[in-house]
Amino acid sequence: MTGATDIEAIVSRLNAARPPARGVRYEGPAPFGQGMTVHRFALSNGLRVLVEIDAAAPVLCLQTWMRVGSRFEKAGKTGISHLFEHLMFGETEKSAHGAFDRLLEEAGGETNAATSLDWTYYHQNLPKTALALGLRLEAERLAHLVLREPQVASEKEVVANERRQRVEDDVDGAVSELLYREAFREHAYGIPTIGLMKDILSFTPEDCTEFYRTYYAPNNATLVLVGDVDLEETLGLVADHMGALEPSEVPLEDVHPEPPQLEERRLVVDKPSPTHRVAIGYKCPALGDFDHAPLVVLNEILFGGRSSRLHRRFVKELELATEVRGWVGTGRDPSLYDISLTAREDVTNERLLEVFDEEIAKVMASSVGEEELDRAKARLELGTLQSLESVSGRAETIGFYDTVLGEPGALFTKLEAYRRVTRADVLRVARRVLSSTGRTMVLVRPSGDEEEALEEGSEQEVATA
Amino acid sequence: MKLFVEASPKLPIVSIAVAFRSGSTFDPEGKEGLCRTTARMLRRGCAGWDADALEARIDSLGGEFGADASPGATSAHAEVITRRLDPFLELCTKLLGAPTFPDEELGRLVREAKAELIEARDSDRTLAARAFRRTLFAGHPYGRRVAGTLPSLDTITRADVEAFYRRHYTKQNALVAISGDVTDKGAHEIAERVLSLLPEGEPVKDSVPEPTPPPGRQLIIVDKPERTQTQMVIGWLGTHGHDADHVAWLVGNTAFGGTFTSKLMQEVRAKRGWSYGASSRVGFERHRDAFTMWTAPSSTDAPACMQLELELLAELKAKGLTDDEVSFTKNYLERSHAFEVDTPRKRVHQPLEEALYDLPAGYHASYLERVRAVSTDEVNAALAKRTPLEDLVVAVVATNEDTGEGLGKALPGAKVRVDPFDLE
Repeated sequence: MTGATDIEAIVSRLNAARPPARGVRYEGPAPFGQGMTVHRFALSNGLRVLVEIDAAAPVLCLQTWMRVGSRFEKAGKTGISHLFEHLMFGETEKSAHGAFDRLLEEAGGETNAATSLDWTYYHQNLPKTALALGLRLEAERLAHLVLREPQVASEKEVVANERRQRVEDDVDGAVSELLYREAFREHAYGIPTIGLMKDILSFTPEDCTEFYRTYYAPNNATLVLVGDVDLEETLGLVADHMGALEPSEVPLEDVHPEPPQLEERRLVVDKPSPTHRVAIGYKCPALGDFDHAPLVVLNEILFGGRSSRLHRRFVKELELATEVRGWVGTGRDPSLYDISLTAREDVTNERLLEVFDEEIAKVMASSVGEEELDRAKARLELGTLQSLESVSGRAETIGFYDTVLGEPGALFTKLEAYRRVTRADVLRVARRVLSSTGRTMVLVRPSGDEEEALEEGSEQEVATA
Repeated sequence: MKLFVEASPKLPIVSIAVAFRSGSTFDPEGKEGLCRTTARMLRRGCAGWDADALEARIDSLGGEFGADASPGATSAHAEVITRRLDPFLELCTKLLGAPTFPDEELGRLVREAKAELIEARDSDRTLAARAFRRTLFAGHPYGRRVAGTLPSLDTITRADVEAFYRRHYTKQNALVAISGDVTDKGAHEIAERVLSLLPEGEPVKDSVPEPTPPPGRQLIIVDKPERTQTQMVIGWLGTHGHDADHVAWLVGNTAFGGTFTSKLMQEVRAKRGWSYGASSRVGFERHRDAFTMWTAPSSTDAPACMQLELELLAELKAKGLTDDEVSFTKNYLERSHAFEVDTPRKRVHQPLEEALYDLPAGYHASYLERVRAVSTDEVNAALAKRTPLEDLVVAVVATNEDTGEGLGKALPGAKVRVDPFDLE
C-alpha cells in the first residue's frame, strides 16, 4: 500500500523535473470501501486525476469524465454533447480518422463512451503495457480534434441511425423521450440526450468547434485510472501528456429549476407495440439529497426482484404485466423516478394504472415492514459489491460520483446511507415523492386500438409521436 | 461431478455456477421450452419453501439465484455476500436437489413465458435472429426456440417437468464452477453440499446430429409495419473448436467484423454511416453453430447495405487478408487476452465452458499460443473454405411493402419468404 508520505515524495520528484505550469498536486486519499483507496491529484491546469491501484490482473481502465451533458444544451442545438461522444473518436491534427481506435486495438485495448444529462465519459480498457499510448491519444483528442465538414457530416449520419434504432423504432426509447419532455418544461433534463433529429442533422463544424473549445478543457474534466499502474510512472505520463492542455472559461450554467408540478400530466400515444404499456415519472430528489437513499430503498421494496411488492402483484398474483420496472434518477438536480409497466396481451393501461395506484396508496398510507426493508438493503448491498468486480466497474463508479457529487468514494457513503434508512424514512419519502399531482405519464396503446379508445370519450391528450 | 475453482478474497462475494450437460435440444418435439421451464421452476418451490417464501429468503440473504437454458446446457447461477454463505448454501441445496414443481406455479410460469414471447415481438433484433435460426437450422434442434412457442408451452405438464428433471439433474451430469471469496477446500465442500440431494445418475449423451443447412440463398423478410430502420442478419454454418482451421477462422472473423475498427464496421459505419453498429460473430455450441453478420441500416439504405456486405464477403473469400491485417489482428487478440481472464468469474468459466461444450482439452490454455502460430495463408485458406457465397441465409426485419422489393433485388437467386412478425 502506498502511504501519503510516499505519495508526497513521488509528487516532489515529479515537480522537481517539470516547470510549475505542469505541476502535480496531491489532494489526499479518499476512502473507497474496505481495503481500497482512491488517491486524488490535480494538475495546474485544473485537471482532476483519481487513481486506484489494483495489481490483481495486468490491466487498467482509463476514463475521462467531462462535466458536460445534455443539460447544458439549448433548444435547436440538442444532442451536441452526444454527437461529441462520436466525434472524439475521429481525426486529430496528428492522426487520421480511425487511428485512435486502430492503435488502441492493436495494443489490446477496448474503447467506448457514454453521454447522459450531467456528464459525458470516455473509456479505455487497456493492458497495463498500453498506458502511455492510451494517455497520449487521450491528450491528443482533447487538444487537437479536427472538426471540419466531412468529419461532422459523417458522424451526424451515424447518430441519425442510432436515433432511428433507439428512439424512432424503439417503443421504450420513444416513450422515455416523451416522458422527460413532458415532465421537464423548464429544466434542461427535458432535452433528449441523443438530440432531436432535425437538430442532429443541422449541426455545423462551427457549432462543434465552439462546444469543444468551451467544454472540452482540463478544468472541466476528471481523469480516472484504476488497475495495475505504477503511481510515479502514471502521474509523470499524465503530467507530460495533459499538463499542457489549455484551461477554458467554462460559462456559468444558465440553470432553470423545474417549478413544482401541480397537476398530473398524461399523454396517450399509439405505437406498433403488441401490448399496452405505461411509463410514469415522479419528480425525484437529486443524487445528493438526503432523501435519495430512502427513495432507492423504497424503489427496491416496490420493484427489486421477484419478491418486491409490484412484481408480486402485477406479474405473479394478478398476471397483468410481463415486466414492471422502477429506476431512481441519479441527476445532480432533481430528476425523475422513472417507472414502467408492460401489460400482458388484452390488459389495458387503465387496468395497469388502477392496480398501480392501489399499491402507491398503500405505501403512502402506512410504513413498510421491517423484513421487506431488510431484504431491500441486502439486495442493494449485493448489487453495490457486484459493480466493483472489474477495473472498469470501479473506474465508472469513481468517475460518476466524483463528477456528480464531487466525492469519488460516494458509492460507499450511499451504501452506508442505505443501511441507515428506517421505516419512517421510507414513509416520508413515499409521501414526498409519490403525489399523483407531481407525476407525468405516457400511456402506450398498440396501433389499431385508437378508435375504440376515442369512442370511449377519453379526455386525455392524444399525441402521436 | 467436475469442479473448477478460482479463489479471490478481493470482494466479500461467493459465486457458484452449476451446469448440466443437457439443454433445450432434449425438448421433445412439440414440447419446445420444456428444458427452460424446468430450470425456471427450480425457484418456484422446494422442500419446506413455497415460491413466495423462497423469493423473500433469497433476497433477505443478499443472494441471487437464477437458472436458464441454452441448446446445449442448463445453468444455475448463485451468488451471495460471504457472511450469509452458510444459510444460502442450505437453501441452494434444496433449490437444486428438492424442487417441488407445484402445479399452480407451473401454470403461472407458462402464462408468464407466453406473455414474454408476445412482448419479444417488440424487439426487431430478436425477430431477425429468430428468423435466421429457424431457417438456417430448419428441421434441426438448434432451429427450435429455447423459450418454446405459444402452442408448445401449453402442452407442458408437471409430469414432463418432473421427468426432465429426474433424467438430467444428476451428479454425473453436473459441472460446478466456484469463484470469489472462498478457499479451494471450502469450494470443494460447497460443491459437495449443493449437489448432495441429487442422485448419482449418469452423464447424458448428446445425440444431436450435425446440422445440415438448406442449400442456396435464402432471404426471409420479417414483415413489420412502420419500420424506418431494418435489422439484418446474414450468415451460415460456422466453425467448431475441433476444426483444424478453427483458430484461423477466428482470426479471420476478428479482422472482418470482430472489433470496432474491423473491415465491416469501417465500410458500413465509418465510411458510409449506414448503420450504428456492424459486427460479425462466431456462434458457440457443442456442435457447429452459426456464423452471423449483423447490421441495422435505415430502410432506404438496406438494399445497398446488403449488397455491400455481399461484396465484402466475395472479396474476403477471393483475396483474403493481407499480412498486415493478420498481424494486426493477432496483436489485438494476444494483447487484449488479459481481459478474458481479469476477474475470478471469467477465469473459472473458461475450464467450465471447455468441459461443458466438449472442447479440445486445453482449448483456453493453449489459445494464445495457437493464435500466435496462425499464418496469413492459413487464415486465408479458412476464409476461402468457410465463406459459402451461394449458400447463405439473410433475415431482415422490415416493412415488406416499402422495402421488400429492393431487398429481393439485392440478393440475386435467393429463395424469398415473407414471415409475419408475429409468426412465433
